[in-house]
Amino acid sequence: MLRRIFILTVGTGVLILIALSCLVLPNKAQAIPAFTRKYDVNCTACHTAPPVLNTFGQRFLENGYQLPGTEDGGFTGKKKLGDVTLDDVGKYLAFRLVGNAVRNWSFQQQNPAGADAGVVENKTEFTFPENFVLFAGGTVAKNVGFMVELGHDVEAGETDVERGFVSFNNLGAHNLAHVRIGKFDPSAFYSVVTIRQQLNDIGESTSSGCTPYASCSLNRVGLGPGAFATKFYGLYDRSGSAISPFASTLYNSGGEMGIDVHGRPFGDSFLYQVGVLNGANENFGDTNKGKDVYAMLRYDYAKSDYFAVNFSGFIYQGNSNVQVQSHQDVNWNRYGISTRATYKMVDLYAAYSIDRINKVPTGVIGNFDATATGETIGMDTYVTNSTLLSLRYDNIDAGGMMDQRTSASFIGVQAKQYLRTNVAIFARNDFNLRKTDGGEAAARNLRNAFSAGIDIVF
Amino acid sequence: MRRHHLASAVVLILMLGASSPAHAAKPDDNPATQAQGKVIFDRTCLWCHGVTGTGDGPAGWFLGRYAAPRPRNFTTGSFKFRSTPSGDLPTDQDLFRTVTKGIPGYMPGFASLTETERWQVITYVKSFSPAFLVETPVSLPLTGTATPLGPESLDRGRALYERFECHTCHGVEGRGDGPVAQAGDLRDVSGLQIQATDLTRPSSFKNGATLQDLIRTLLTGLDGTPMPSYASRLTGTDHDGWDLAHYIRSLSAESAP
Repeated sequence: MLRRIFILTVGTGVLILIALSCLVLPNKAQAIPAFTRKYDVNCTACHTAPPVLNTFGQRFLENGYQLPGTEDGGFTGKKKLGDVTLDDVGKYLAFRLVGNAVRNWSFQQQNPAGADAGVVENKTEFTFPENFVLFAGGTVAKNVGFMVELGHDVEAGETDVERGFVSFNNLGAHNLAHVRIGKFDPSAFYSVVTIRQQLNDIGESTSSGCTPYASCSLNRVGLGPGAFATKFYGLYDRSGSAISPFASTLYNSGGEMGIDVHGRPFGDSFLYQVGVLNGANENFGDTNKGKDVYAMLRYDYAKSDYFAVNFSGFIYQGNSNVQVQSHQDVNWNRYGISTRATYKMVDLYAAYSIDRINKVPTGVIGNFDATATGETIGMDTYVTNSTLLSLRYDNIDAGGMMDQRTSASFIGVQAKQYLRTNVAIFARNDFNLRKTDGGEAAARNLRNAFSAGIDIVF
Repeated sequence: MRRHHLASAVVLILMLGASSPAHAAKPDDNPATQAQGKVIFDRTCLWCHGVTGTGDGPAGWFLGRYAAPRPRNFTTGSFKFRSTPSGDLPTDQDLFRTVTKGIPGYMPGFASLTETERWQVITYVKSFSPAFLVETPVSLPLTGTATPLGPESLDRGRALYERFECHTCHGVEGRGDGPVAQAGDLRDVSGLQIQATDLTRPSSFKNGATLQDLIRTLLTGLDGTPMPSYASRLTGTDHDGWDLAHYIRSLSAESAP
């Protein structure tokens, strides 16, 4: 008990120190990453609160990093090579550094008991920084855009091209068809976007040394949007590695290889999107040779005072995109709906998805639930000019191997204080709503998670 | 001396020519032009300025959240960036300049629209305010003779900076940290708190940072903000505007645009 009080006191002290630093730091609006430098605007021209886009920013993204209604890629920000200065390079490059300075986990007990020496009932970690992302993006010619995000996960020790694609825009006519080719986030135009969340994903913790096609013990659940998550226990990629039930996948993946087409040929209110991907958790190449396909339709309304709302629905059809414990291929599909509404400083959103495994193989049929669902409901709101409060509810009604699956429900609360428009500190707490259900599964044992950190973009 | 004045006049003529960014034939203000402008407005401008032009588009709130600036409300007929006397409507050229160059920090420049498209959208923007139907705005002339930059001009400019009490908002060194600004007493017409411009950062000047941009701002003021028009105090002298503009530019180490 004394230890916990000490830990919380230290954590609170760190936060207070950081908060006090805003009193001595200048608090002036600054144009930040590449696009704000290129167009000489503040980040709030496109974002409600970075990384979440406002309606103007959404149209900028849809138009292939060109101002809405324009095809400015041909000349804006361009110079002859010999005239390029460091400032000009800054119009294409940006970085984000985000992480928790301190995290505290509260467990009911070790999970599983004694299985992992690193997991104790309560622990505090100093972890900053956890994630560093280098962006390069913009247009190379009229209607030709690109984006590359090189991410380094310090905690996992991995560096990867999280997204990297080129886009060919306004093909045929203005807003008729925009094509992205490469590794991209399929849900970029969905009402609730996977990679644009105020509450950053906190990955799950698993026992080390998991063997192929064996159940891998979850020591701690992941904390991310329930609607985006895998939801199934006992799914494996084609190398036999277990797929986390809490990782964002399929249409809601943060990055998959493929081709995507979107546009608004039926007027400004409707956006269509169709795409083909290598498949879930495939990187370069395609080990199963089958392709996953998806289609999304979105309706927008933005004609009232300070108000905008949109609704989206998608179908994602997998094609031998995952395997079960018996090493057999299955088709893993997802169907989802979502909505988002903004009014003045309030940003409300909700997403629901149903995951379905068609034709469960005979090897696991008696012990496999082929349906899983997930919900995410959230709100972000500015309570002052520089203070953003976020609230999110996530639920997973898990499917998959019935002897492993455990549903999870968490509520996350976060306060984010912007010291400058590009520097924010945050404190977050996640509460387990199912802890009274008991049991030793990770979804029951993790009672509370607290974290506080910093988010810098430049 | 006469040669010097001649050179100044030539420079002034060239600068005035350069300050007019519109060269394409301006389409007539008629319903067809307005309809074409609406299409562009709905694609490009609606997100901040709102479907009725009142500055309440869905992205508009987030620009300033609880503080200024908010997107322009076109229905009131009040515009910050003009070449016309305080309280008057802007000229079409004024609107064209703002659409083309944007407002540093807040509105991107839309030079990527064709000139015809910009004129079309301006025709539509003007339709939000009936005042444009009855008034014909006229630019204030840029007064005086263009004076060359030099110690004498800077001294006179510094004296004017003090006499006009610019430092009360912009600070002695022009950093936007004058006592009135620091007290948080600067508010726009809608009551939202605003900051005095940091004169040491010309790239952030919303109404442009060339000498003639500065003189224009001094003459017209920025309607709806505490920045007044100094037209009545600058028109009586031959070189005051230029001296003050030179001094303001000297507050920054940034090179002249």
